[in-house]
Amino acid sequence: MANNNKVVIIGANGTMGAGAGCVLAGGGYSVTLLARRSDKAAQGLADAQNDARAEAIAERISLGAYDTDLSRAVSEAAIIFESLAEDLPLKRQFFELIDKSRRPDAIVASGSSGLSVAEMARGRSDSFRRNFLGVHLFNPPQVIVGTEVIPGPDTDPAVVKGVVAMLTRRLGRKVIVSKDMPAFVGNRVGFKVLNETAQLAAEHGVAFIDYLIGPHTGRAMAPLATVDMVGWDVHKAIVDNVHANCEDEAHESFAMPAYMNVALHKGCLGDKTPERGGFYRRAGKQVFVLDPKTGGHENYQKPAPIEFVEKMKQLHHVGRYGEALKVLAEAKGADADVCRRVVLGYVSYALNRVGEVAASSADVDTIMSYGFNWAPPTAIVDLLGAKNTVAMLQKLKLTVPAVVEQAAASGARMFSGGILEYGRTFVG
Amino acid sequence: MTKAAPVYVLGGAQTDFARNWSKEGKHFVAMMREATLGALEATRIEPREVETAHVGNFAAELYAKQGHIGAFFLEIDPVFSGLPTSRHEAACASGSIALIAASADIEAARYDLACVVGVEQMKTVDSTTGGDILGTAAWYEREAKGIEFPFPKLFGRLGDEYDKRYGLKDEHLAHISAVNYSNAKRNPNAQTRNWFMSESHAQHESKFNMRIGGRIKVSDCSQVTDGSVALFLASEKFARAWAKRNGKTLADIPRILGWGHHTAPIEFDTKVAESRDNAYVLPHTRQAILDAFKRAGIASAAELSGIETHDCFTTSEYMAIDHFGITKPGESWKAVEEGVIELGGKLPINPSGGLIGAGHPVGATGVRQMLDCHRQITDSAGDYQVEGAKKFAMLNIGGSGTTSCVFIVGK
Repeated sequence: MANNNKVVIIGANGTMGAGAGCVLAGGGYSVTLLARRSDKAAQGLADAQNDARAEAIAERISLGAYDTDLSRAVSEAAIIFESLAEDLPLKRQFFELIDKSRRPDAIVASGSSGLSVAEMARGRSDSFRRNFLGVHLFNPPQVIVGTEVIPGPDTDPAVVKGVVAMLTRRLGRKVIVSKDMPAFVGNRVGFKVLNETAQLAAEHGVAFIDYLIGPHTGRAMAPLATVDMVGWDVHKAIVDNVHANCEDEAHESFAMPAYMNVALHKGCLGDKTPERGGFYRRAGKQVFVLDPKTGGHENYQKPAPIEFVEKMKQLHHVGRYGEALKVLAEAKGADADVCRRVVLGYVSYALNRVGEVAASSADVDTIMSYGFNWAPPTAIVDLLGAKNTVAMLQKLKLTVPAVVEQAAASGARMFSGGILEYGRTFVG
Repeated sequence: MTKAAPVYVLGGAQTDFARNWSKEGKHFVAMMREATLGALEATRIEPREVETAHVGNFAAELYAKQGHIGAFFLEIDPVFSGLPTSRHEAACASGSIALIAASADIEAARYDLACVVGVEQMKTVDSTTGGDILGTAAWYEREAKGIEFPFPKLFGRLGDEYDKRYGLKDEHLAHISAVNYSNAKRNPNAQTRNWFMSESHAQHESKFNMRIGGRIKVSDCSQVTDGSVALFLASEKFARAWAKRNGKTLADIPRILGWGHHTAPIEFDTKVAESRDNAYVLPHTRQAILDAFKRAGIASAAELSGIETHDCFTTSEYMAIDHFGITKPGESWKAVEEGVIELGGKLPINPSGGLIGAGHPVGATGVRQMLDCHRQITDSAGDYQVEGAKKFAMLNIGGSGTTSCVFIVGK
């Protein structure tokens, strides 16, 4: 790694670019925020100051525009962090420029949340490709510390090691190394579940699904509210990419629901388009919810309480997470079946990625827990019991991951931590 | 001072102080449960071995409309049903009072193994209400009623008193803040571990670093924190057997070498008037430190490897420096300037990040400080380990310098 403290951020006016600037400046780096125009970069600085809640962060940040400052800033930097829109040709165009000015030992990291690292580096110099990798931060990066590092085919292993160490030690991130496959580990697993709930909403309704598969199932936020926060355009880009480029046991779970495509076409992007909304639309204190059947927004009505859901919430409220999952395992009725299918489907799909896109179940746990604020899948297995989990998966005709089979056979606990590590992911 | 039976510290666990348990939709019993189950697992102690529990908590009645906190220990495991439990309160020193009560149980040979739990859930209320609740740690009617954020103002006045007697520069307070935030970045349970802080941010008043009580700015303050900590204190008999089954000897197990406990008049003005002719601004705090030194058989702070002190505000850490005798009275700034208090310095203060960096769940803070002393002595503090730590001190203060509790932990 180049022996200086300078970082350049390309695309610094976006949420992720400004957030990355906040994180890197907070770690003591001297950061240059670059955007198409320097007033756009200045907006990035204002965002970074708000994120850091400190005007003084400006002492570590300088601003510039691509036309006037890119080649000079890049030529001085130890790390160049690309945070442009998820547009491969655009990113490649910038990497070509960077390749011309960067120091031979400067690291180039892409913040892409799922584009191919190999494709992004294609055609670049040997030195560029050796020092190029993906560094996928989650939104908002100054709050969510889960981070994926994605080496390309030519990335020097020493560069990977150095970047992982820097992210972990200096920036306090929880890091996993993922394979260069569509959506990497976090978004592959996370958006499988999110899109599945969006599919279920077509039949059961938005408010009902967010209640049934709400925070009590091991997530900080209800799934469809999460999609609104992420943005429907981002959601579509991720699920379409996986649907087109991955053939796996949950292929159909990545098919974007037709009603979402229609609403998206009308400009419903979720929270970023407050007037059109997404699954939810807010007007003052009034909340409206999308009716997938009509495409219109109706008055939000709280779903009628379901006994097993309320029981689970009450048990989480007092910290009895294992007992709450036992309630889920034993609940009767069609609603419970839907909920179990999503939760166990998550466990199955997540842990079946071990040896494929993820190196270990611990890595899957780390990224789901610190990237999504969802319960680590192995903690769910431990709380249900591995043997019981296998039986439930078989009953639901879901793939039993090899690592779960092994745990059932050996009786060993799967999750590396304890209640203090997974407790926060179950919400009462 | 008669020699009491030894009290061993077997270790424990804490919750992540960055968590917001109201957002998680949880009751404080969930916090106690996680911390205690985590402590049992960390120490490999069986629930049935616990003989008594002492809970430190400041104001659950006000934050969570719930009293009788000792009884909640039984909710952690059915095995605890019937166990003698109690709750202890001395504002921000509640955790230490629970430790002292548990130690007394062990010293008196009433029990061989005590669990001490500190717990506070503070994010149930908005910041103004929270500030008002904290005001009950002072003489509420005289010092807090109708005053927004009374405690920053009281500790601002502690700074003013130093300024009057010896002179005080705010840049030294800002440095204390920056050191605590910097240390907290090494602590995986610290509330502020991912927050931005710099010396210049701490020094300057700005829209994000407002003045909230006299000379006290936001960066001078400890945090509003949800948190719980549980640890085990044991008699020699239990500690010996426990050491053996964990492949250790009794000599490997840290113990409380000494303690001190004094209470000053609750009103800040009375304290200051009382100490007018004393070199120490808070002489009862000084006395608690001297008592702990004497009981531990140490002559001065030079024999310590580090200190976890009560930095509810930067001024309280500034006070601790000279009260521990690290400098002459009024010269704490010298230790700040010379880097004595920093990790890697001659006598690191708050390697954990302290109350400013690690967080301050009021009733749990004393127990957290004790757990951090244990981590230091057993070389298990990870990235905030003070190399080769032999003896560690903690100072926990309730109110505006009212209740002072000191412990020295070592082998």
